Amino acid sequence: MEPNVEAVQPQFRSGISGTKPGGMGFVFDDIHGLIPGPPETDGTSFTALLELPPPQAVELLVKEDFPAKSMPPPIFPSNIALIDRASMFSVFASADNPPESTNILSVSSSMKTDSVKQEPLESEHHRNSSSPAVSNQSLKSIKRKEREKKVKESSKKSKKLEANEASDGSGEQLPYVHVRARRGQATDSHSLAERARREKINARMKLLQDLVPGCNKSLQISGTAMVLDEIINHVQALQRQVEFLSMRLAAVNPRIDFNLDALLAVESESSIDNSYLGMFPPSIWPEGQLNSSRQQQPWLLDGLHPGRVDDTSNFITQENSLLSYDSPPNSASLHSSQLKMEL
Amino acid sequence: MQNSSSSSSLMVKQEFFTKWKKGLKIYSAFNKEMTIMERKRAIKLSADVAIASTRSATTQWSRAVVAEVSSSAAGAARIAAEEILGRKLSTERRKAQAGKKIVRRRRKAAARGAVRSSAAAVAKKVVRNRRRVLKRLIPGWKKLDEICLIKETLDYIASLQVQVDVMRHLANAGETLHHQQILL
Repeated sequence: MEPNVEAVQPQFRSGISGTKPGGMGFVFDDIHGLIPGPPETDGTSFTALLELPPPQAVELLVKEDFPAKSMPPPIFPSNIALIDRASMFSVFASADNPPESTNILSVSSSMKTDSVKQEPLESEHHRNSSSPAVSNQSLKSIKRKEREKKVKESSKKSKKLEANEASDGSGEQLPYVHVRARRGQATDSHSLAERARREKINARMKLLQDLVPGCNKSLQISGTAMVLDEIINHVQALQRQVEFLSMRLAAVNPRIDFNLDALLAVESESSIDNSYLGMFPPSIWPEGQLNSSRQQQPWLLDGLHPGRVDDTSNFITQENSLLSYDSPPNSASLHSSQLKMEL
Repeated sequence: MQNSSSSSSLMVKQEFFTKWKKGLKIYSAFNKEMTIMERKRAIKLSADVAIASTRSATTQWSRAVVAEVSSSAAGAARIAAEEILGRKLSTERRKAQAGKKIVRRRRKAAARGAVRSSAAAVAKKVVRNRRRVLKRLIPGWKKLDEICLIKETLDYIASLQVQVDVMRHLANAGETLHHQQILL
Protein backbone atom coordinates (compact mmCIF):
# COMPACT_ATOMS: atom_id res chain seq x y z
CA MET A 1 0.00 0.00 0.00
CA GLU A 2 2.81 2.33 0.70
CA PRO A 3 4.08 2.67 -2.86
CA ASN A 4 0.54 3.36 -3.87
CA VAL A 5 0.31 6.09 -1.34
CA GLU A 6 3.58 7.59 -2.36
CA ALA A 7 2.56 7.49 -5.95
CA VAL A 8 -0.55 9.34 -5.06
CA GLN A 9 1.12 11.91 -2.96
CA PRO A 10 3.32 13.51 -5.58
CA GLN A 11 0.40 13.64 -7.95
CA PHE A 12 -1.64 15.34 -5.38
CA ARG A 13 1.00 17.78 -4.43
CA SER A 14 1.87 18.60 -7.99
CA GLY A 15 -1.76 19.27 -8.50
CA ILE A 16 -1.54 21.92 -5.89
CA SER A 17 1.79 23.42 -6.68
CA GLY A 18 1.58 23.17 -10.42
CA THR A 19 -1.11 25.81 -10.54
CA LYS A 20 -3.00 23.68 -12.93
CA PRO A 21 -6.71 23.53 -12.57
CA GLY A 22 -6.53 20.27 -14.43
CA GLY A 23 -4.44 18.80 -11.66
CA MET A 24 -7.00 19.76 -9.12
CA GLY A 25 -9.72 18.44 -11.28
CA PHE A 26 -7.98 15.14 -11.44
CA VAL A 27 -7.83 14.86 -7.71
CA PHE A 28 -11.40 15.82 -7.23
CA ASP A 29 -12.48 13.50 -9.95
CA ASP A 30 -11.21 10.78 -7.74
CA ILE A 31 -13.20 12.12 -4.86
CA HIS A 32 -16.16 12.33 -7.11
CA GLY A 33 -15.71 8.75 -8.09
CA LEU A 34 -15.34 7.72 -4.51
CA ILE A 35 -18.78 8.79 -3.48
CA PRO A 36 -21.50 6.83 -5.17
CA GLY A 37 -24.43 8.46 -3.55
CA PRO A 38 -26.03 9.25 -0.24
CA PRO A 39 -25.05 6.40 1.99
CA GLU A 40 -27.35 5.04 4.61
CA THR A 41 -24.93 3.97 7.28
CA ASP A 42 -21.34 4.20 8.17
CA GLY A 43 -20.69 0.74 6.85
CA THR A 44 -21.82 1.49 3.36
CA SER A 45 -19.84 4.67 3.27
CA PHE A 46 -16.76 2.76 4.21
CA THR A 47 -17.23 0.30 1.42
CA ALA A 48 -18.01 3.06 -0.99
CA LEU A 49 -14.79 4.76 -0.19
CA LEU A 50 -12.93 1.54 -0.40
CA GLU A 51 -13.96 0.94 -3.96
CA LEU A 52 -11.52 3.50 -5.14
CA PRO A 53 -8.04 4.00 -3.81
CA PRO A 54 -8.48 4.67 -0.15
CA PRO A 55 -5.10 6.29 0.23
CA GLN A 56 -6.25 9.06 -2.02
CA ALA A 57 -9.31 9.77 -0.03
CA VAL A 58 -7.48 9.56 3.19
CA GLU A 59 -4.64 11.61 1.84
CA LEU A 60 -6.89 14.31 0.63
CA LEU A 61 -8.96 14.64 3.69
CA VAL A 62 -6.62 13.75 6.40
CA LYS A 63 -3.16 14.93 5.79
CA GLU A 64 -0.19 13.33 7.39
CA ASP A 65 -0.34 14.22 10.99
CA PHE A 66 2.62 16.04 12.23
CA PRO A 67 4.04 13.83 14.89
CA ALA A 68 3.69 16.14 17.79
CA LYS A 69 4.31 13.20 19.97
CA SER A 70 5.32 10.18 18.05
CA MET A 71 3.46 7.11 19.08
CA PRO A 72 5.49 4.03 18.48
CA PRO A 73 3.31 1.01 18.10
CA PRO A 74 2.66 -0.43 21.49
CA ILE A 75 3.20 -4.08 21.96
CA PHE A 76 -0.16 -5.20 20.82
CA PRO A 77 -0.52 -8.40 22.77
CA SER A 78 -0.47 -6.35 25.88
CA ASN A 79 -3.23 -4.25 24.45
CA ILE A 80 -5.66 -7.04 24.93
CA ALA A 81 -4.56 -7.10 28.52
CA LEU A 82 -5.02 -3.38 28.57
CA ILE A 83 -8.48 -3.79 27.18
CA ASP A 84 -9.43 -6.30 29.77
CA ARG A 85 -8.17 -4.18 32.54
CA ALA A 86 -9.50 -1.04 31.03
CA SER A 87 -12.86 -2.62 31.16
CA MET A 88 -12.43 -2.98 34.83
CA PHE A 89 -11.06 0.38 35.64
CA SER A 90 -12.01 2.88 33.04
CA VAL A 91 -15.32 4.65 32.94
CA PHE A 92 -16.07 4.76 29.23
CA ALA A 93 -19.42 3.10 28.92
CA SER A 94 -20.41 1.26 25.84
CA ALA A 95 -23.12 -1.08 24.79
CA ASP A 96 -21.35 -3.29 22.34
CA ASN A 97 -18.43 -5.28 23.54
CA PRO A 98 -16.26 -7.48 21.44
CA PRO A 99 -17.24 -11.04 22.07
CA GLU A 100 -13.76 -12.19 22.97
CA SER A 101 -13.46 -9.99 25.91
CA THR A 102 -16.91 -10.61 27.27
CA ASN A 103 -15.83 -13.69 29.16
CA ILE A 104 -13.09 -11.70 30.71
CA LEU A 105 -15.40 -8.83 31.30
CA SER A 106 -17.86 -11.04 33.00
CA VAL A 107 -15.26 -11.91 35.56
CA SER A 108 -14.89 -8.34 36.62
CA SER A 109 -17.91 -6.78 38.11
CA SER A 110 -17.35 -3.17 37.30
CA MET A 111 -18.68 -1.02 34.49
CA LYS A 112 -17.94 -2.03 30.95
CA THR A 113 -16.07 0.53 29.02
CA ASP A 114 -15.00 0.77 25.50
CA SER A 115 -13.27 3.79 24.25
CA VAL A 116 -10.12 3.24 26.12
CA LYS A 117 -9.89 -0.24 24.84
CA GLN A 118 -11.11 0.62 21.39
CA GLU A 119 -8.36 3.03 20.65
CA PRO A 120 -5.65 0.61 21.59
CA LEU A 121 -7.61 -2.02 19.78
CA GLU A 122 -7.47 0.00 16.62
CA SER A 123 -3.78 0.53 16.82
CA GLU A 124 -3.44 -3.08 17.70
CA HIS A 125 -5.21 -4.17 14.59
CA HIS A 126 -2.85 -2.26 12.45
CA ARG A 127 -0.07 -4.31 13.80
CA ASN A 128 -2.25 -7.32 13.39
CA SER A 129 -2.38 -6.84 9.68
CA SER A 130 1.35 -7.11 9.47
CA SER A 131 1.89 -10.23 11.50
CA PRO A 132 -1.33 -11.99 12.26
CA ALA A 133 -0.01 -15.44 13.06
CA VAL A 134 2.49 -14.47 15.66
CA SER A 135 0.19 -11.94 17.13
CA ASN A 136 -2.68 -14.34 17.54
CA GLN A 137 -0.62 -16.86 19.39
CA SER A 138 0.91 -14.41 21.74
CA LEU A 139 -2.43 -12.71 22.08
CA LYS A 140 -4.02 -15.92 23.20
CA SER A 141 -1.29 -16.72 25.64
CA ILE A 142 -1.42 -13.22 27.03
CA LYS A 143 -5.15 -13.44 27.28
CA ARG A 144 -4.97 -16.69 29.15
CA LYS A 145 -2.50 -15.25 31.57
CA GLU A 146 -4.59 -12.19 31.96
CA ARG A 147 -7.64 -14.28 32.58
CA GLU A 148 -5.92 -16.13 35.34
CA LYS A 149 -4.61 -12.95 36.74
CA LYS A 150 -8.01 -11.42 36.48
CA VAL A 151 -9.56 -14.16 38.48
CA LYS A 152 -6.96 -13.76 41.11
CA GLU A 153 -7.29 -10.04 41.19
CA SER A 154 -11.01 -9.95 41.29
CA SER A 155 -11.02 -12.44 44.07
CA LYS A 156 -8.52 -10.34 45.89
CA LYS A 157 -10.32 -7.14 45.45
CA SER A 158 -13.81 -8.31 45.94
CA LYS A 159 -14.88 -7.73 49.43
CA LYS A 160 -18.35 -9.01 48.92
CA LEU A 161 -18.07 -11.75 46.36
CA GLU A 162 -19.05 -15.21 47.36
CA ALA A 163 -16.16 -16.81 45.58
CA ASN A 164 -13.94 -18.63 47.94
CA GLU A 165 -10.48 -19.55 46.97
CA ALA A 166 -8.27 -21.99 48.73
CA SER A 167 -5.54 -19.86 50.12
CA ASP A 168 -2.19 -20.94 51.36
CA GLY A 169 -2.43 -19.66 54.79
CA SER A 170 -4.56 -16.65 54.81
CA GLY A 171 -6.07 -16.13 58.18
CA GLU A 172 -9.48 -14.92 57.22
CA GLN A 173 -10.35 -13.00 60.24
CA LEU A 174 -13.12 -11.01 58.66
CA PRO A 175 -15.91 -12.96 57.07
CA TYR A 176 -16.22 -11.01 53.91
CA VAL A 177 -12.69 -10.23 52.83
CA HIS A 178 -11.40 -12.93 50.59
CA VAL A 179 -7.78 -12.31 50.04
CA ARG A 180 -5.18 -14.77 49.14
CA ALA A 181 -2.06 -14.38 51.19
CA ARG A 182 1.14 -15.39 49.63
CA ARG A 183 3.69 -17.54 51.31
CA GLY A 184 5.74 -15.89 53.95
CA GLN A 185 3.63 -12.80 54.26
CA ALA A 186 1.84 -11.44 57.23
CA THR A 187 -1.81 -12.15 57.40
CA ASP A 188 -3.25 -9.65 59.78
CA SER A 189 -6.07 -7.58 58.48
CA HIS A 190 -4.14 -4.36 58.19
CA SER A 191 -1.48 -5.68 55.94
CA LEU A 192 -4.04 -7.62 53.98
CA ALA A 193 -6.05 -4.53 53.31
CA GLU A 194 -2.94 -2.65 52.50
CA ARG A 195 -1.77 -5.32 50.18
CA ALA A 196 -5.11 -5.32 48.47
CA ARG A 197 -4.88 -1.61 48.05
CA ARG A 198 -1.40 -1.80 46.70
CA GLU A 199 -2.46 -4.47 44.25
CA LYS A 200 -5.26 -2.27 43.07
CA ILE A 201 -2.92 0.60 42.54
CA ASN A 202 -0.40 -1.54 40.76
CA ALA A 203 -2.98 -3.02 38.46
CA ARG A 204 -4.25 0.38 37.48
CA MET A 205 -0.76 1.64 36.96
CA LYS A 206 -0.20 -1.20 34.56
CA LEU A 207 -3.24 -0.13 32.61
CA LEU A 208 -1.98 3.38 32.52
CA GLN A 209 1.39 2.15 31.46
CA ASP A 210 -0.12 0.40 28.52
CA LEU A 211 -2.12 3.38 27.51
CA VAL A 212 0.79 5.75 27.44
CA PRO A 213 3.09 5.01 24.56
CA GLY A 214 6.66 4.29 25.41
CA CYS A 215 6.05 2.82 28.82
CA ASN A 216 6.05 -0.79 27.86
CA LYS A 217 9.76 -1.18 27.65
CA SER A 218 10.52 -1.49 31.31
CA LEU A 219 9.23 -4.68 32.76
CA GLN A 220 9.02 -3.39 36.27
CA ILE A 221 5.64 -2.65 37.64
CA SER A 222 4.14 0.72 38.26
CA GLY A 223 5.26 3.25 40.78
CA THR A 224 8.59 3.59 39.10
CA ALA A 225 9.66 7.11 38.56
CA MET A 226 10.18 6.48 34.86
CA VAL A 227 6.67 5.33 34.30
CA LEU A 228 5.22 8.27 36.12
CA ASP A 229 7.53 10.51 34.21
CA GLU A 230 6.26 9.18 30.93
CA ILE A 231 2.69 9.56 32.02
CA ILE A 232 3.26 13.13 33.05
CA ASN A 233 4.95 13.87 29.76
CA HIS A 234 2.12 12.36 27.83
CA VAL A 235 -0.54 14.31 29.67
CA GLN A 236 1.37 17.52 29.29
CA ALA A 237 1.96 16.85 25.61
CA LEU A 238 -1.71 16.23 25.01
CA GLN A 239 -2.68 19.38 26.82
CA ARG A 240 -0.20 21.40 24.83
CA GLN A 241 -1.48 19.85 21.64
CA VAL A 242 -4.97 20.98 22.45
CA GLU A 243 -3.71 24.51 22.89
CA PHE A 244 -1.79 24.52 19.64
CA LEU A 245 -4.59 22.93 17.70
CA SER A 246 -7.09 25.45 18.90
CA MET A 247 -4.68 28.18 17.82
CA ARG A 248 -4.32 26.57 14.43
CA LEU A 249 -8.03 26.31 14.04
CA ALA A 250 -8.44 29.90 15.03
CA ALA A 251 -5.83 30.94 12.51
CA VAL A 252 -7.06 28.97 9.58
CA ASN A 253 -10.48 30.48 9.30
CA PRO A 254 -11.63 34.03 9.73
CA ARG A 255 -14.80 32.76 11.33
CA ILE A 256 -14.69 29.91 13.75
CA ASP A 257 -17.74 28.25 12.44
CA PHE A 258 -17.15 28.53 8.76
CA ASN A 259 -17.99 24.92 8.37
CA LEU A 260 -20.91 25.22 10.68
CA ASP A 261 -22.27 27.97 8.58
CA ALA A 262 -22.48 25.64 5.69
CA LEU A 263 -24.21 23.01 7.73
CA LEU A 264 -26.49 25.53 9.25
CA ALA A 265 -27.29 26.82 5.84
CA VAL A 266 -28.26 23.42 4.73
CA GLU A 267 -30.36 22.93 7.75
CA SER A 268 -32.16 26.17 7.67
CA GLU A 269 -31.63 27.26 4.12
CA SER A 270 -30.49 30.61 5.30
CA SER A 271 -27.99 32.84 3.63
CA ILE A 272 -24.33 32.23 4.10
CA ASP A 273 -21.58 34.56 4.95
CA ASN A 274 -19.62 34.91 1.76
CA SER A 275 -16.45 36.32 3.19
CA TYR A 276 -14.87 32.93 3.40
CA LEU A 277 -16.73 31.12 0.75
CA GLY A 278 -15.89 33.77 -1.73
CA MET A 279 -12.38 32.50 -1.54
CA PHE A 280 -13.38 29.41 -3.41
CA PRO A 281 -14.03 30.36 -6.99
CA PRO A 282 -16.81 28.27 -8.39
CA SER A 283 -14.79 27.49 -11.47
CA ILE A 284 -12.86 24.89 -9.57
CA TRP A 285 -15.91 22.96 -8.73
CA PRO A 286 -17.71 21.50 -11.67
CA GLU A 287 -21.38 21.08 -11.14
CA GLY A 288 -21.46 17.34 -11.10
CA GLN A 289 -18.78 17.00 -8.51
CA LEU A 290 -20.43 19.24 -6.04
CA ASN A 291 -23.42 17.06 -5.62
CA SER A 292 -21.51 13.94 -4.78
CA SER A 293 -18.35 15.23 -3.20
CA ARG A 294 -20.40 17.25 -0.83
CA GLN A 295 -20.38 14.46 1.62
CA GLN A 296 -16.68 14.55 1.99
CA GLN A 297 -16.29 18.25 2.28
CA PRO A 298 -19.57 19.35 3.61
CA TRP A 299 -18.47 22.62 4.99
CA LEU A 300 -17.29 24.11 1.76
CA LEU A 301 -19.47 22.61 -0.86
CA ASP A 302 -22.70 23.06 0.90
CA GLY A 303 -21.83 26.64 1.37
CA LEU A 304 -21.79 27.11 -2.36
CA HIS A 305 -25.21 25.66 -2.74
CA PRO A 306 -27.32 26.98 0.00
CA GLY A 307 -30.45 25.73 -1.56
CA ARG A 308 -29.68 22.11 -1.25
CA VAL A 309 -31.33 20.40 1.59
CA ASP A 310 -29.39 17.55 2.93
CA ASP A 311 -29.22 15.37 5.91
CA THR A 312 -26.67 16.97 8.14
CA SER A 313 -26.44 13.96 10.32
CA ASN A 314 -25.01 12.26 7.29
CA PHE A 315 -22.28 14.83 7.07
CA ILE A 316 -21.27 14.42 10.61
CA THR A 317 -21.40 10.71 10.18
CA GLN A 318 -19.32 10.86 7.06
CA GLU A 319 -16.79 13.18 8.44
CA ASN A 320 -16.44 11.26 11.60
CA SER A 321 -16.29 8.00 9.81
CA LEU A 322 -13.40 9.44 7.94
CA LEU A 323 -11.96 10.73 11.15
CA SER A 324 -11.99 7.25 12.50
CA TYR A 325 -9.80 6.11 9.68
CA ASP A 326 -7.04 8.14 11.07
CA SER A 327 -7.53 7.68 14.74
CA PRO A 328 -4.16 6.11 15.28
CA PRO A 329 -1.83 8.79 14.10
CA ASN A 330 0.23 6.81 11.68
CA SER A 331 1.14 6.60 8.08
CA ALA A 332 -1.29 6.14 5.29
CA SER A 333 -0.29 2.53 4.83
CA LEU A 334 -1.92 1.83 8.11
CA HIS A 335 -4.93 3.79 7.01
CA SER A 336 -5.38 1.53 4.08
CA SER A 337 -4.89 -1.55 6.14
CA GLN A 338 -7.41 -0.32 8.61
CA LEU A 339 -9.81 0.48 5.86
CA LYS A 340 -9.42 -3.04 4.62
CA MET A 341 -10.11 -4.38 8.05
CA GLU A 342 -13.27 -2.40 8.20
CA LEU A 343 -14.69 -4.49 5.43
CA MET B 1 -15.18 -6.78 16.24
CA GLN B 2 -13.17 -4.16 14.49
CA ASN B 3 -16.34 -2.46 13.41
CA SER B 4 -17.75 -2.36 16.88
CA SER B 5 -14.52 -1.16 18.38
CA SER B 6 -14.01 1.59 15.89
CA SER B 7 -17.66 2.49 15.94
CA SER B 8 -17.78 3.07 19.66
CA SER B 9 -14.72 5.29 19.65
CA LEU B 10 -16.31 6.84 16.63
CA MET B 11 -19.39 7.50 18.69
CA VAL B 12 -17.36 9.31 21.27
CA LYS B 13 -15.71 11.36 18.60
CA GLN B 14 -19.01 12.09 16.99
CA GLU B 15 -20.52 13.14 20.24
CA PHE B 16 -17.59 15.38 20.99
CA PHE B 17 -17.68 16.88 17.53
CA THR B 18 -21.38 17.61 17.68
CA LYS B 19 -21.20 19.24 21.05
CA TRP B 20 -18.17 21.20 20.11
CA LYS B 21 -19.83 22.59 17.05
CA LYS B 22 -22.85 23.51 19.08
CA GLY B 23 -20.68 25.64 21.29
CA LEU B 24 -18.95 27.26 18.36
CA LYS B 25 -22.26 28.11 16.78
CA ILE B 26 -23.29 30.00 19.85
CA TYR B 27 -20.04 31.89 19.95
CA SER B 28 -20.39 32.98 16.38
CA ALA B 29 -23.95 34.02 17.01
CA PHE B 30 -22.72 36.33 19.71
CA ASN B 31 -19.82 38.04 18.01
CA LYS B 32 -19.54 38.27 14.31
CA GLU B 33 -16.00 39.46 14.29
CA MET B 34 -13.54 38.02 16.75
CA THR B 35 -9.86 38.48 17.01
CA ILE B 36 -7.70 35.46 16.64
CA MET B 37 -7.13 35.17 20.35
CA GLU B 38 -10.81 35.36 21.05
CA ARG B 39 -11.42 32.69 18.48
CA LYS B 40 -8.79 30.47 19.98
CA ARG B 41 -10.25 30.90 23.41
CA ALA B 42 -13.70 30.14 22.11
CA ILE B 43 -12.54 27.05 20.30
CA LYS B 44 -10.66 25.75 23.30
CA LEU B 45 -13.44 26.38 25.75
CA SER B 46 -16.03 24.76 23.57
CA ALA B 47 -13.78 21.77 23.01
CA ASP B 48 -13.05 21.37 26.72
CA VAL B 49 -16.66 21.58 27.75
CA ALA B 50 -17.65 19.25 24.96
CA ILE B 51 -15.14 16.58 25.85
CA ALA B 52 -16.00 16.88 29.51
CA SER B 53 -19.66 16.49 28.78
CA THR B 54 -19.08 13.24 26.92
CA ARG B 55 -18.31 11.78 30.31
CA SER B 56 -21.62 13.12 31.57
CA ALA B 57 -20.22 13.95 35.00
CA THR B 58 -19.21 10.44 35.86
CA THR B 59 -15.59 11.37 36.37
CA GLN B 60 -14.00 13.82 38.70
CA TRP B 61 -12.06 15.67 36.05
CA SER B 62 -15.11 16.27 33.91
CA ARG B 63 -16.97 17.71 36.84
CA ALA B 64 -14.00 19.87 37.67
CA VAL B 65 -13.75 21.21 34.13
CA VAL B 66 -17.40 22.14 34.14
CA ALA B 67 -17.12 23.72 37.57
CA GLU B 68 -14.16 25.78 36.50
CA VAL B 69 -15.97 27.03 33.43
CA SER B 70 -19.09 27.83 35.38
CA SER B 71 -17.22 29.86 37.92
CA SER B 72 -15.13 31.89 35.54
CA ALA B 73 -17.07 32.30 32.36
CA ALA B 74 -18.22 35.44 30.62
CA GLY B 75 -21.46 35.87 28.72
CA ALA B 76 -20.98 34.04 25.48
CA ALA B 77 -18.86 31.37 27.08
CA ARG B 78 -21.44 30.67 29.69
CA ILE B 79 -24.25 30.35 27.22
CA ALA B 80 -22.16 28.10 25.03
CA ALA B 81 -21.27 25.86 27.93
CA GLU B 82 -24.85 25.66 29.05
CA GLU B 83 -25.95 24.78 25.59
CA ILE B 84 -23.41 22.03 25.29
CA LEU B 85 -24.25 20.56 28.62
CA GLY B 86 -27.93 21.08 28.27
CA ARG B 87 -28.33 22.51 31.71
CA LYS B 88 -27.86 25.64 33.68
CA LEU B 89 -24.54 26.21 35.35
CA SER B 90 -24.39 26.80 39.04
CA THR B 91 -22.74 30.07 39.78
CA GLU B 92 -21.89 29.72 43.43
CA ARG B 93 -18.86 27.87 44.56
CA ARG B 94 -19.67 24.74 46.40
CA LYS B 95 -17.87 24.69 49.65
CA ALA B 96 -17.52 21.25 50.99
CA GLN B 97 -18.44 18.67 48.45
CA ALA B 98 -19.43 15.35 49.86
CA GLY B 99 -16.93 13.89 47.50
CA LYS B 100 -13.67 12.43 48.47
CA LYS B 101 -12.14 12.59 51.82
CA ILE B 102 -8.46 12.63 51.55
CA VAL B 103 -7.07 10.54 54.30
CA ARG B 104 -3.55 11.36 55.07
CA ARG B 105 -1.84 8.11 55.22
CA ARG B 106 0.62 8.84 57.93
CA ARG B 107 0.01 5.58 59.59
CA LYS B 108 2.28 3.80 57.22
CA ALA B 109 5.33 5.57 58.54
CA ALA B 110 4.02 5.38 62.06
CA ALA B 111 3.29 1.70 61.89
CA ARG B 112 6.60 0.78 60.43
CA GLY B 113 8.38 3.30 62.53
CA ALA B 114 11.66 2.29 61.05
CA VAL B 115 14.30 4.41 59.47
CA ARG B 116 14.38 3.56 55.83
CA SER B 117 17.59 3.07 54.01
CA SER B 118 18.61 6.15 52.19
CA ALA B 119 18.35 4.79 48.67
CA ALA B 120 14.87 3.49 49.12
CA ALA B 121 13.81 6.63 50.89
CA VAL B 122 15.11 8.77 48.09
CA ALA B 123 13.37 6.61 45.51
CA LYS B 124 10.11 6.78 47.37
CA LYS B 125 10.40 10.49 47.69
CA VAL B 126 10.99 10.85 43.99
CA VAL B 127 7.99 8.72 43.20
CA ARG B 128 5.86 10.63 45.61
CA ASN B 129 6.89 13.92 44.04
CA ARG B 130 6.07 12.64 40.59
CA ARG B 131 2.70 11.50 41.77
CA ARG B 132 2.04 14.94 43.11
CA VAL B 133 3.03 16.53 39.83
CA LEU B 134 0.79 14.19 37.90
CA LYS B 135 -2.01 14.91 40.23
CA ARG B 136 -1.76 18.62 39.61
CA LEU B 137 -2.08 18.12 35.88
CA ILE B 138 -5.48 16.53 36.05
CA PRO B 139 -8.29 19.00 36.38
CA GLY B 140 -9.95 18.70 39.72
CA TRP B 141 -6.93 17.25 41.37
CA LYS B 142 -7.74 18.46 44.82
CA LYS B 143 -10.30 15.78 45.33
CA LEU B 144 -8.30 12.87 44.04
CA ASP B 145 -6.71 10.33 46.27
CA GLU B 146 -4.11 7.93 45.04
CA ILE B 147 -6.34 5.23 43.66
CA CYS B 148 -8.74 7.55 41.98
CA LEU B 149 -5.87 9.54 40.59
CA ILE B 150 -4.80 6.70 38.41
CA LYS B 151 -8.29 5.94 37.27
CA GLU B 152 -8.95 9.55 36.47
CA THR B 153 -5.67 9.85 34.65
CA LEU B 154 -6.61 6.92 32.46
CA ASP B 155 -9.91 8.43 31.56
CA TYR B 156 -8.46 11.87 31.11
CA ILE B 157 -5.72 10.70 28.78
CA ALA B 158 -8.18 8.83 26.62
CA SER B 159 -10.50 11.82 26.43
CA LEU B 160 -7.65 14.15 25.60
CA GLN B 161 -6.65 11.79 22.83
CA VAL B 162 -10.12 11.94 21.35
CA GLN B 163 -10.13 15.68 21.56
CA VAL B 164 -6.73 16.01 19.95
CA ASP B 165 -7.63 13.62 17.16
CA VAL B 166 -10.79 15.40 16.17
CA MET B 167 -9.23 18.82 16.38
CA ARG B 168 -6.22 17.75 14.40
CA HIS B 169 -8.27 16.29 11.60
CA LEU B 170 -10.35 19.39 11.39
CA ALA B 171 -7.32 21.62 11.37
CA ASN B 172 -5.57 19.54 8.74
CA ALA B 173 -8.54 19.42 6.47
CA GLY B 174 -9.16 23.10 6.83
CA GLU B 175 -5.58 23.96 6.12
CA THR B 176 -5.40 21.62 3.19
CA LEU B 177 -8.30 23.23 1.48
CA HIS B 178 -7.05 26.63 2.43
CA HIS B 179 -3.71 25.98 0.81
CA GLN B 180 -5.30 24.55 -2.25
CA GLN B 181 -7.23 27.69 -2.58
CA ILE B 182 -4.25 29.91 -2.15
CA LEU B 183 -2.03 28.05 -4.56
CA LEU B 184 -4.61 28.13 -7.24
